[in-house]
Amino acid sequence: MTMNAQTDTSPLEGKITIEVDGLACPFCAYGLEKNLKEIDGVESIGINIDEGSVLLVIAKGKQISENTVLEKIKEAGFTPGTIKKESDE
Amino acid sequence: MDIMDNDFFGSHNDGYKLSSRLLTYQVTSKIFLTILTVLLGLEMKAQGPPIFTDTPIMLGVQGRGVRTFGNIISKENAKAYKQVLVVPYNITRKWQVGTIVPYLSISPEGTSSSSGFGDLKVFTKYQLYQKDGKGTTLRGLVKLTETFPTGNSSKMPTLGSDAYQTTLSLVNGYVTTKYGIYGEVGYNIAGNNLPDNLIYNIAIGYPLLPQKYPPNQLNVFLELNGNYVFDDVGNNLFLSPGIQYIAGRKLLFESGIQIPLTDASPTNQQTNYIVRIGTRILIF
Repeated sequence: MTMNAQTDTSPLEGKITIEVDGLACPFCAYGLEKNLKEIDGVESIGINIDEGSVLLVIAKGKQISENTVLEKIKEAGFTPGTIKKESDE
Repeated sequence: MDIMDNDFFGSHNDGYKLSSRLLTYQVTSKIFLTILTVLLGLEMKAQGPPIFTDTPIMLGVQGRGVRTFGNIISKENAKAYKQVLVVPYNITRKWQVGTIVPYLSISPEGTSSSSGFGDLKVFTKYQLYQKDGKGTTLRGLVKLTETFPTGNSSKMPTLGSDAYQTTLSLVNGYVTTKYGIYGEVGYNIAGNNLPDNLIYNIAIGYPLLPQKYPPNQLNVFLELNGNYVFDDVGNNLFLSPGIQYIAGRKLLFESGIQIPLTDASPTNQQTNYIVRIGTRILIF
């Protein structure tokens, strides 16, 4: 299931993939990883430079706000795109 | 390109032959044209920041770390070593401040040496635009650098310029997952009757290893670093190939050599080459 990153504010859970524009250099991505790790409930993070995306695994029983994720990506200096719930596929 | 690299001192010398300089230039040019040709035939991935040219990307080690490098400078009439510490800090994601502290050791031929801290620089950068796409980013910033005459200029050879200097630069870059192109142009206003100068740099970067995160990257760069000095002094232009290894999230090693293509320095005071060896460490 994909969601419009700009308007949908439903809570996120399970595994989600977020498109991140501007992710052109691995050495730039540390801030993105660090920022997303700060979100309570995020269990692990996988950054895929080739695909320009981030895989977030949210701990069982936890939910995180979509707006929080988008804001953390912007703070890290990147442009967030669509969010896809992997668990719904 | 730092003007301090080119204006150390002037005295006597026994010099290098012009034919030797031309041969060095021709051989180096052929080597790097060959490398570039080979690289263009490979599948390229993303790369790191250029070695001699500034980058508009204030992320990773460029905004949360420290950088230090040593310049081994060979001139016709002297040898010098310059160790530089650069500490940037991001106030916001678009605004950065920082300082540059150089330590110099200069050994002219036939006279006594000098060593000590050079002119301190303080800079600020502000991102003007950012256009991101999938695996691409186009960014530009304005940079203001103030140089303070903290280096000792009362003894020879001098360690400082004895002048306040202000540089306003525009730094642009287009980075994709396959290559990076960077450009910088700046105008330096120098006090104490020193001539102003126009700084211009361009860099192209190519990675040699597949991209992944955490990074394990080997990158090569080819740069042109220029500095046109007004008041009829002339143009300095360097061809600057370099190589860079990014070892994980927080550590980067790099090295490059600057070979003069044109040198406005007086005869017998010209630059033979500048070798840079450095590291960047992410700490914040």
